[in-house]
Amino acid sequence: MPSANMGRIKAIIVKEFFHILRDPRSLTMVFITPLVMIFILGYSVSYDLNRIDAAVIDLDQSPLSKRLAQAFAANRVFVVHNRGDAPGRMLSLGEAEEMLRRREIKEIIVIPADLSRRLAARGSCEIGLIIDGSETNVANLVYQYDERILLEFNSGLLAAGGTAGRLLRLDTKIYFNPEVRSQFFFIPGLVAVILLMISAMLTSLSISRERETGSIALLFISPLRSREIIIGKTIPYIIVALLDGVFILLFARFWFGIPLRGSLLVLLLFALLYILSGLALGILISTSAPTQRTAMLATLLITMLPSFLLSGFIFPLDSLSPVLRAISYAVPATYFLRIIRGVILKGAELKHFLFEGGMLVALSLVLLAAATRKFNRQRKAAQ
Amino acid sequence: MKLFYLIKKELIEITRQKELLFLMFVSPVIQIVILGYVISTDIRHVPVGIVNLSQGQAAERIVERVRRSPLFDVRLESRHGMDYLYPLKKGEVKAMLVFRDALDRRRSLLKYPEVQVLMDGIDSNTSMIAAGYFNGIIKQYILDDMEKLGRGVPLAGRPVFRFNPQLRSINYMGPGIVGFLLTIITMFLTSASLVREKEQQTLDTLLISRLSTLEIYVGKALPSALIGLVDMVIGLLVVVLWFDIPFRGSLFYLFLAALVYLAAILAYSLLISVLSATTQQAMFFAWFSLMIFLLMSGFFTPVENIPPALRLVADVNPLRYLIKIIREIFLKGNGIAYFWKDLLALAAIAVTLVSISLLNFKRFISK
Amino acid sequence: MNAAAPAIAVRDLSKNFGRFQAVKGISFDVAPGEIVGFLGPNGAGKTTTIKMITGLLKITSGTVLVDGLDRREQPAQVKRKLGYMSQKFSLYPLLTALENIEFFGGISGLAPRELKAAMARMGEQVDAAVLGQKIHDVPPGIRQKVALFVCLLPGPEIILLDEPTSGVDPEARRLFWSEIYRLKTQGKTLLVSTHNLDEAEYCDRIIIIHNGEIVAAGAPDELLRRKQKASIEELFKDAISEHGQD
Repeated sequence: MPSANMGRIKAIIVKEFFHILRDPRSLTMVFITPLVMIFILGYSVSYDLNRIDAAVIDLDQSPLSKRLAQAFAANRVFVVHNRGDAPGRMLSLGEAEEMLRRREIKEIIVIPADLSRRLAARGSCEIGLIIDGSETNVANLVYQYDERILLEFNSGLLAAGGTAGRLLRLDTKIYFNPEVRSQFFFIPGLVAVILLMISAMLTSLSISRERETGSIALLFISPLRSREIIIGKTIPYIIVALLDGVFILLFARFWFGIPLRGSLLVLLLFALLYILSGLALGILISTSAPTQRTAMLATLLITMLPSFLLSGFIFPLDSLSPVLRAISYAVPATYFLRIIRGVILKGAELKHFLFEGGMLVALSLVLLAAATRKFNRQRKAAQ
Repeated sequence: MKLFYLIKKELIEITRQKELLFLMFVSPVIQIVILGYVISTDIRHVPVGIVNLSQGQAAERIVERVRRSPLFDVRLESRHGMDYLYPLKKGEVKAMLVFRDALDRRRSLLKYPEVQVLMDGIDSNTSMIAAGYFNGIIKQYILDDMEKLGRGVPLAGRPVFRFNPQLRSINYMGPGIVGFLLTIITMFLTSASLVREKEQQTLDTLLISRLSTLEIYVGKALPSALIGLVDMVIGLLVVVLWFDIPFRGSLFYLFLAALVYLAAILAYSLLISVLSATTQQAMFFAWFSLMIFLLMSGFFTPVENIPPALRLVADVNPLRYLIKIIREIFLKGNGIAYFWKDLLALAAIAVTLVSISLLNFKRFISK
Repeated sequence: MNAAAPAIAVRDLSKNFGRFQAVKGISFDVAPGEIVGFLGPNGAGKTTTIKMITGLLKITSGTVLVDGLDRREQPAQVKRKLGYMSQKFSLYPLLTALENIEFFGGISGLAPRELKAAMARMGEQVDAAVLGQKIHDVPPGIRQKVALFVCLLPGPEIILLDEPTSGVDPEARRLFWSEIYRLKTQGKTLLVSTHNLDEAEYCDRIIIIHNGEIVAAGAPDELLRRKQKASIEELFKDAISEHGQD
């Protein structure tokens, strides 16, 4: 950009800055709400299953079946129900099914009446696992737990019988998040999603506001080029959003104890590119929307769902169909999520994310160019 | 009668904004379809790396099974030792599977190799599920192997999934989308409505008119409720027809719950509208509330996981109850006996919100 | 209407916004059938006073009687007697002129037949094509006309007009005042605020307000005579400078 333009851009930047500072209430909201959000959601959004309520229906009542029931009860996650309504009576299958319907339990474990006999005769027997499938994710996890308990129980049986010696030795190591806390997954994700939405919202009103108050006419007739106006309206918010980002990151680091294993500088560099893409998106919306309300609504719909769904925030991208996978390449959060999780939790470095960084820059440029074009066209139409 | 004109005016205003119409009626359909597809894709194609250092046949056979499985996507394979952590760090793979020959105490080769799984624990959910898949492959291999020798594993779990036999996650999430849509549209439409009148200077005329406070309040809420219901019907149709999710329960209770919910959410939105000074603030506040409502509703992650200290926030979240009721009705076809408590809680929240917001509204108007 | 009672009686009326006193205990009357001009520079307290009379703003202290009714005790009845047109002709920008009329008539409880008649009356005055446009795209003169029309729909006896002529061209302003005279002949009472001093001569009486205080009041001619000024403008400047430093 030729240096002569810088003075003019500066004028817009200064004006826009005044606008930000003159509205302290909105500014506080921009800084406080993300913290409250991370605070509440950081604790609440979690996949970790702390407790599985299950009913065990032991129809065999043999020492073996009691040992099996005990194996479930001994697991710290399972809370086993086996008492019926009447005192001293065991829970019936019908009662257990009703409990399942009422969501009091997640699973019914049915040990068949002929367990011991069949095991002796054929060497194997099936255990019925009736799982509430309505929450797919939970159902899957419950089943995984069952399998693990059965596997251990089987190993014990085989070892005692001395038949197969030992089964295959499987050794699982979990890296970066040894306690498998889903907070490690969600909190950096929340940081990314919130940062994008804030950035986009900040700029989404900058032009639509002028349109609603009519002051856009002044911009139209100013000697500034459209490109300069768009850039001038974006720059001040970079500072606001970056500060906001630092704020959120510090909160995640010190409140939730999310480790920062990589370089803060690298993270901030990428955050800057990411914020730029959000601001660019906002300004494009702002040039297109007739009113502030429409601009806000559009910004939220455009940023919220794709950042939630098509970025890997909640659902892994690798599982998506090719079409959706292709769309995910246009979502800035896709790249930043990879970066932030990598840098924060794995200590990844700059060189790991050259592609992601490049894509963020490319996205920002495309969005800014589109906004400039749109603004320019409106300007020509107005004159 | 006066109310009729107020509602008519609100509806005309909305229809005059093409962008708003698009956001209200077209974008929900797009959203549901995308959401539906994203959600219905269960975890598959988990990217893994395989390092096979074993000379035995068993390892090669297991690797072959992993390669063929649609659950895994083998991104790199090696027969030499390497920096196992590098691909994990880079995010290229979610897990590294390392096969080594296993020796017993007498240093003779065992039949089965030793398998090490190095997992990226960040996406704990995907990792756990992927580990489950891998365990399954190994278990099946051993089972097949034992069967050849005429033996079986002693106890095998045979799972039956109630209410959703194929564990289609869309069945679980889909109905929730309807509640989500109802919220997003009505909230954004309503929370800026008073501020807007203030900004375009029409509020005074409205206040000086012969409309009573209650009439203005209801007149602001009803058009949004109407649009919310239309959106809900659109959502239901897409969910049932496009995604083929069975609707097993009573439509009457579904709409009853939706109406109670609408009262709560509209009262809340009008409260935002009263408390905000500018459109920007109103929208910002609506966004904030929406994120909290949505992420604490059990829509994505179970409500049970919310820690006790924050349970209160979840307990007053109206969306939580609506989603619960919708799921009960949709998937299980349960009658009122199974969710009357939730409906009652929702009604209590609605009554409280309406009272608070009406009180604030009155104070706002008689400034 | 009781001939003896003033249409509007304002006594010791004050308004505080926090520590700032916008209106400082003013008193005045508006007699039935009178046009009173409410003059003052921007920020003098004109709009605040009018809003207190209508009930849009809470009164800090003092009383407002409209046709003998206390505005604080019987707000609903007072509302029924008043017509109010705010600054910037608060109409709905996305609605057409006719839709605005239908809406405002509708919420003032006009029957559908009356509404239709009113819309037809407007149609006689303004080109139908213009009436079918969104108010946002209509010239200010027409907007002003529609706003006044809308304000009169419920048939109020006492009409408060807040800066009705700001931002309108001189020709439209002249037409507007002739309309106000027509209203006077129908026996309506009008309180019109303005910062255009040349409009003072249209009024039966003027009240000049500055910094929340009444600095002069009376019939224009009489005021000029009493203060020995050649023009309202001179009178105004003088009155303001007298009370300016406080």
